[in-house]
Formats: sequence, C-alpha cells, structure tokens
Amino acid sequence: MVTGTVGAVLQVLLIAVGSPLLVGVMRQVRARLEGRAGAGIAQPWRDLRKLLRKQAISPHGTGWVFRLAPLLLAGTALVAAAVVPLVTTASPLDGVADLFAVTALLALGSVALALGALDTGTAFGGMGASREMTVLALVEPTILVSVFALSIRVGSTSLGSIVTATARDPLSVISPVSALAAVALAIVTIAETGRIPVDNPSTHLELTMIHEAMVLEYAGPDLALIEWASAMRLSVLLGLLASLFFPLGIAGADAGVLGLAAAVIAIVVKVALLGVLLAAGEVFMAKLRLFRVPELLAGSFLLALLAVAASFFLA
Amino acid sequence: MTDALYVQALYLACGAFLLTGVLVLWRRELSAIVRLFTLQGVALTALVVVLGLWQGELELVLVGAGVGALRAGLLPYLMRRALVAGGAGRETQPLVNVATSLLVAAVLAMLAYAVSQPLIRLSPTPATQAVPVALTVLLIGFFVLVTRKRALSHVVGFLLMDNAITAAAFLTTSGVPLVVELGISLDVLLAVLVLQVLTTRMRAAFGGTDLDELRELHD
Amino acid sequence: MESLLVLAPVAVPAAAACLYAVLGWNRVTAWLGTLSAAGLLACAVALSAASSTASSAGSFTGSFTAGPGEAFGGLLFADALSAFMLIVIGVVALLAMAASPAYLAAELAAGHTDPHAMRRYGVLTQAFIAAMALAVLASGLGLLWVAIEATTIVTAFLVGHRRTRAATEAAWKYVVICSVGIALALLGIVMVHYAGTHAGVTSLDWAPLAEGASRLDPGVMRVAVMLLVLGFGTKAGLAPMHAWLPDAHSQAPAPVSALMSGVLLSVAFYAILRVKVIADVALGAGFARTLLIVVALASLTVAALLLLGQRDYKRLLAYSSIEHMGLLALGAAIGTSLALVAVLLHILGHGLGKSVLFLSAGRLHQTYGSSLIGAVRGLAGRAPLLAGTFALGLLALLGMPPFSLFASELGLARAGFAAGLGWPVAAALVLMLVIVAAVTRHTRRMLLGDGPGIRPGDGPDAGPMPPDGAGGAPADGPGAAAGGAVTLPRSLAVPLVAGLAACAVLGLTLGPLHSLLRAAAMIAGATP
Repeated sequence: MVTGTVGAVLQVLLIAVGSPLLVGVMRQVRARLEGRAGAGIAQPWRDLRKLLRKQAISPHGTGWVFRLAPLLLAGTALVAAAVVPLVTTASPLDGVADLFAVTALLALGSVALALGALDTGTAFGGMGASREMTVLALVEPTILVSVFALSIRVGSTSLGSIVTATARDPLSVISPVSALAAVALAIVTIAETGRIPVDNPSTHLELTMIHEAMVLEYAGPDLALIEWASAMRLSVLLGLLASLFFPLGIAGADAGVLGLAAAVIAIVVKVALLGVLLAAGEVFMAKLRLFRVPELLAGSFLLALLAVAASFFLA
Repeated sequence: MTDALYVQALYLACGAFLLTGVLVLWRRELSAIVRLFTLQGVALTALVVVLGLWQGELELVLVGAGVGALRAGLLPYLMRRALVAGGAGRETQPLVNVATSLLVAAVLAMLAYAVSQPLIRLSPTPATQAVPVALTVLLIGFFVLVTRKRALSHVVGFLLMDNAITAAAFLTTSGVPLVVELGISLDVLLAVLVLQVLTTRMRAAFGGTDLDELRELHD
Repeated sequence: MESLLVLAPVAVPAAAACLYAVLGWNRVTAWLGTLSAAGLLACAVALSAASSTASSAGSFTGSFTAGPGEAFGGLLFADALSAFMLIVIGVVALLAMAASPAYLAAELAAGHTDPHAMRRYGVLTQAFIAAMALAVLASGLGLLWVAIEATTIVTAFLVGHRRTRAATEAAWKYVVICSVGIALALLGIVMVHYAGTHAGVTSLDWAPLAEGASRLDPGVMRVAVMLLVLGFGTKAGLAPMHAWLPDAHSQAPAPVSALMSGVLLSVAFYAILRVKVIADVALGAGFARTLLIVVALASLTVAALLLLGQRDYKRLLAYSSIEHMGLLALGAAIGTSLALVAVLLHILGHGLGKSVLFLSAGRLHQTYGSSLIGAVRGLAGRAPLLAGTFALGLLALLGMPPFSLFASELGLARAGFAAGLGWPVAAALVLMLVIVAAVTRHTRRMLLGDGPGIRPGDGPDAGPMPPDGAGGAPADGPGAAAGGAVTLPRSLAVPLVAGLAACAVLGLTLGPLHSLLRAAAMIAGATP
C-alpha cells in the first residue's frame, strides 16, 4: 500500500517534470536528423518559464469556458498520470479509475479544449475544434476497444491488473490479440497527441492543423498550461503503451525502495526510447492529407475490434 | 513443440494472415497490395507448417511448402508482372471509400464470427477456433472483389478468398484429400493465368485494365 | 468392359482435343468433333442401358446400388443419373458440333476468325465436353468440383473467342464471377469434409457420404449446403449470382452458347441435385427445399423482369436459360418422384430447345450483323426455314405442346400442388406467364413484322461486329442480309430440325427413356 502511494506520487512527479523534457528530446532528435543543431532538450521548459512570466490575457467576448479549458486539460492529464500504471501497478487510485475512467479523463480534456476553442468564436478555433472532434470520435472508441481486448484475457478492466498479468507472463504479448491491439493503440496515440502523420505540431498551416488551430488564441500562462498538459498526455500515452506491451521492470505491490527506483529508471528509458522512435519516424514520414486521416483512424479502430474478436475466438 | 507454444505459433500465423487481409483494404497502391498478398502467402505457409509439425506429419509440412511456393512465390510473381505490364494507374479506385470499407470489414468480422459458431461447436480445438479468421478474410476478399474497379484488384480479391478457403481447409481438417488438393491448386493457377491473358487482351482492347471501361454489356 | 465404358466418355473428347491440337481445323477435321460427340452419345446410351437393367434388377432403395460401374481407381463411376446426364451432354454436343463447321465457315468468310483461332476452337470445345463428362462421372464431390472449375477455365477463351471489347469483357466477368462462385462451393466441400471426418466418413465420394449422411453434424452441414448451393448455383446461372450468364451467352460463338446454356448449366445443376441427396438425409428435407425455393423464385423474377425490356435476342435467350434453371430448382425443391422425373426430362428438353435456338440465333447474328431484336424484321418471309426453327424453338421453350417442355412443366406443376407447395408453384406460374408474354411480344416482330428493320450500326449499341468485318464480307455478310434472302446451310439445317424433332418426340413418348428417368430420379433422392 505504501509503495503504491509512493509510486503514484513518483509517477505524477515524473510525468509533470519529465514530459517537457521528453518533448525536448524529441525535438532534438528531429533537429539532429534534419542536420540542425537543435535547441537542447531543456528548451520546452525554458519556453514554459517564459510564457508563465507573461501577463494573462484573453480575447474579447470569451467567457469562463475559455479560461477553464487549460486548467481542465492539465488537471485531467495529472489525474491520468496518477492512475495509469507507469512506475507501479498498485496505485491507490487504481480501484476507482479503471480503463474506462482513464479514457474518459483524456476525452474530457480534449473536449474542454475544443469547447475553449469554440468559445473564441474565430474561424480557426471552430475549424480546429471540429477536426479534433472528428479525430476524437474515432480515437476514443479505439482506445477503449483495444484495451478491452487486452482486458479479456485478464478478466478485469483495471489497467493495473492487466499490466500485472502481462508482467507475470511476458511471452503472452506474442499473440494476435496483443499484436493487433498494439498497432491500434500506437496509431491512436499518434493521433491523440497530434503527431505526424495525423497532425504536425510544428506548423501553423491552416489547411492541415488540428491541435495548433485550437490553441491559437491562447497566450501567456494559459498557453503554458496547455503546452505542458499536451506534453503530459503524450508521456502518459507512451508510458501506457510501454507498460501494456513491455512491462519489464514495473514495480508490483510488494516492491521495495530499490524496486521503485528501478521502475522509475525503466519507465524513463522506455518512454524516452518510444519518443525517439516516434521523432525519428516523423522525419521520414509525410503528413497524411487531412481527408485520409479518418481512413487511418478507421483502420486502427478495425484493428482494435479485430483484437477483441480474436480475444474471443482465439481464447 | 509444447501445447502452449503450438497454440501461440498457430494464432500468431492466423493473426498475421488476418492483418494482411485487412491491410489490403487499407492500402491503395496496387504494388503495396501485391506485397501484402505475398506476406499473406507466407503467413498461410507458416500456418500449414505449424499444423504439420504439431501433428508430426511430414506430408503436411511438404504440402505447406508447396502452398508457400504457389501463394508466396508464383502467384505474387505473376501479379507483379501484370502490374509492371499495366503501366500507369497503379492506384485502386474503390467504389466505397477506404474509411467506410474498413468499418464494413469490422462488420464482416462479426458476421464471420457468427457464421463459424456451429463449426467451432463440432470440435473446439485450438485450430478450429481460428476458423473465423479465415472466414473474415474470405468475406474481405469478396468485398474487395465487389467494390474495387481495377482488374488486378479483382484478381487480388479472388486470391484472398482462395487463401482463406485454403486456410479454412487446413484449420478444420488439415486439408482435403491430396488428389483434390492438387486439382484445386492447379485450377487456381490456371484461373490466374486465364485472368492474366484476359488482362493483356483488355489492355489491347481498352488501353487499360480499369473495369470502369467495362460498360459494353448491361441491361 | 464396364469400366472402359465409364472411361470412354471422357477419353473420346479428350482424344479429339489432342487430334485438333495436332491437325488443326480444316474441311475434314471439322467433322471430328461431331464424330466424338456421337461416340460420347453412344457410350452414354450403352451405360444407361447397363444401369437401368441393373436398377430394375436391384431394389429401389434410393441409394447408390443402381449399377455403379467404376473406373480409374474409383475416381469415376456411373449410375442412372450420371448416365442420363451423359445422354444430355451427348445429344447437345452432337447438335452443337454438327453445326460448328457451318458456323466457323461463315465466320471465316466474314473475316472474324483465322485458322489459328479455329484450331483453338476445336481443342477447347472438345476439352469442354470432356470436362463436363468428367463432372457427371466423378465419383465424389472433389473431382466434381475440379471438373466444373475446369469448364470455367476452358470456356473462358471460348467466350472471348471473338476478341472484341464486348467479348473480352464478357469473358472477364465470366471467369471472375464463376471462379468466385465455385470458390464458395469449395469452401462448402471443405465443410462437408470437416463434418465427414468427425462422423467417420473420410472420403468425399458420393456413396460413403450418402451412407454416413445421417451422422453428419447438422450445424456444419447447414453452412456447407448453403455454400454449395450458392456456389454451384453460380455456375448454374441461378440468382443471385447470375450476372455473368447473359453476357457470356450472348458473346460466345453460337455452338458454344448452345453447349453452355444447354448442358453446362445443367451439369452445375446436377451437382446441386447430388448435394441435395446428402443434405436431405443430414438436415431433413425442409432445409434444402426452402433454400431452393428462394433461389428458384428469385431466378424466375430476375428473368421475368429483365425479359420485359430486352432488346437483344441473344440475351433474351440467356435470360430464358435463367428462367429454366429456376424451374429446375423449383422441381428439385419439390423433390417427389414425379417432380424429379419432370426435372430430368426438363433438362433434356431445355438442352435440345435452347441449343436449336442459340444455333439459329447465331445464324441470324451472322447474317444481320447485329443481335438487336430491332434489327431483325420479317424473317418468316425471307428465310422460312430459319424462321421456322427459331419460332418452333421458342414455342418449345415457352412450354407449348407437343414439345417435351410442356410435359415436364405440367409434371412440375402437378407435383408441386400435390406436395403442398401450392404458393411457390403458383408464383412461378404467374412469372412464367409474364415471361411468355414478354418473349412473344419481342419475337413476333422479328418473325412476322415487315420493313427492313434497323440497319446494323444504327442501334445505340451496334453489336460487337467491328466495321472492318463488314467490308470484306461476301454474299452472306451483314450487308447482304438487309434486303436479300437469308441462307441456311444444309449442315446447319439438319441439326436444327433434328433437335426440334427430338424435342417433340420426347413430348409425346418417353419410350425407353422412361425406366432410365425413373431410376435416375430415384438416385436423385425422390420421395414417393
């Protein structure tokens, strides 16, 4: 119980502090692969510090929805970070927040942001919000269905028990169910976090942008909060992916201090590795045309559904 | 080979078989589709060989090798040749857009699962439990055939169905009698050759193999 | 001796195919096909004589005791049903092959073909006949499947014989749709084998399957029978997989159309009959019956609807084939002894009538250069003999007395009402009335109307004849027909008249065929 609590606190701290660094690492990898020097991995933190020092302003005609959205986004990301088994599988919140709660939390953040974007009443905000909703409509069910497929084998929708079961029998990952679910989850992680090939986080091209269009009207501390929350969501989802399919080193309920330390190192290495892979992949990939994005997401939904089907008939 | 390992290997092969089938719906470039078809042939071969090793039958392993030579070697080779000869227009033009067809594939998977229930009930072994996979690929193949316009995608659809039937045969009964198996392989090969000759002729007559041009005959 | 007789129907056309491959098609070898068809027919008659004596001696158990002669390591066998189907193949092949020399001579004269293509025609038609004979003599489901798929492959090139756009398109559709259908049947066979191995029946042969049918798992068999009926139904031109049939039949050379419509469809239907025997034991009579009634009424509806607005006389004949296949399915669904005898007689009568019609239609197409109904006018005045065979053939197909189709349709209706299937039969009769009205309306003007008709080339789709074909055509090319007389070569007239006469005689008396038909119906699972 104690290790669980300590682990959960560690997790939240790790995500809160580490996720801007993860973004920094990814940008650095991209820069190096593209032949640039790069700004260093601490640059996102420096950006955040700069934004936080600025005065908070909001556009004319926006209401409380606009101001609340960043808080809600960051809050849901932090709660998700506390629940998802990253460092420990025995988070004290695990009992109340299972797979459905985590998905709902992430969706809540996205919806809040989309509402905030709509609240500005500008063309970009509306466009970004509507695109985000299109993506969300396919992403959320995919996450649900694919994690559900994994949960069938365990007989519980608690993420902690799924990861524990996988940690006990790592070879069980090599099955069609896990393979299909892994591909589906990887695709929706990319879509949900607004990376290539679904969205490009480093452009502001009105034809294609999704996430950036929504946050165009934010400035100062609000923008800092959103950037930070987005980074946390990326880390949480990558961490979840790593824990579900490669739970090596994760601390169980009875792990000691050493176990927790090892788990922290393991998750940092795994997430960093995934981040580097993702960044490297982005360099070599072109962004999909926007109207092809639903195809990609529908495909990932199909894979997730097949994973569920397979977990029933190949059981 | 232990029980668990056998089941895992078998299901992995089935998963790969299914995945390649689904991806055919996803991709538009014909060259990618042919590559996927090759991979599916490899998965099918693996499936048969795993079954053969498990049952300790050398004959089945050899049949698996034959299946592999035909479906991962000869047929993709023929299709690649047709593709190269086809020249321009390498993309399929589905009648149903890709996103919808992927969702339809999800429905087809459910249908396959429902239809195969009586088959599984007769003898619930690990192998027969994978029959829905084969039926899903069968339905996807049919769907490709109905909704794609390029002549070569028709061939792919037909061959997907054929792969699926072969998979179903091996999963349920470790294959039909050998004479029949030989006849079937020969017929499939001939059917593909006939289709290839016809594509050549169509190219001569229409200047392409887009079946959209096939509008001469209708009521 | 017996085993030689079973082997011969396959071996004779196969040998003829080889001879064609070596010698090519010329004035003398043109008659080789006719000779081989006659040989096939002779074997068929001998086999049926053997099997009906055997069956009259044996007891009517409805199983496979009716004098099966086996050959070739048990791969081939013949009972009364296969002997009867062989007779149908022999008769129609004889008509089609006897008409081929005249047909190809006219094609050659019009510049539509060359010696190379004619050699291929000779080889492929003989291979086609051999494959059909193999299908009906196959001792099991597996070989039957292989033979039926072989007919698809062989006939693909025959359908595309003219190499025009339309012909290539028809061949493509034909191969794709039929291969898919037959692939479904293959899955059905796999399911039967699966059910069989779990019931201790490891062979796919008819006899062990029928014996162990009651032990087969009903759940699996339900799926299997559905797939088999759908799959073989594709090849038999039954709705909903009939789309290839009008295209292929209207584009193939006339003798090939005659063979395809006259026997190929029936051979595929023969497969359904065989499957039904097993299905009835494994699942009870209700399942296959419902399936077949649905398929039959769907086919009749499709045929009736598309015949109403038909503008092409070859396609008209093709849709009529779908109609007759629907009737056969209905008869098989009824399943009583009377119904099955009527079905078998209907197969023979339809084979005769449809081949006469397709051969006449081929001659019409050659002379008018178009297969549009509107292009042919006042045929009766210009070519009384051709008009006569065409008209009488149509009357036969519409089920008018004295032709045998009248007798068989009457038998079907009676059997249907007696078996308590009044509604489906009544629906079928209404649809047939619609078809009679549609066909007579379309063909009346072809035969009796006056005026020159639409000149070929004026119609919206002017038929597949390329323009350069008309230029080099001598006397009976397309241009000549518009005003002058239409000639009917003697070698074509003889099979046409003979076919009609045979059809009429069968309508009056079955003669020695009677006992064979009863034995065959018994094997096809007739319930008393």
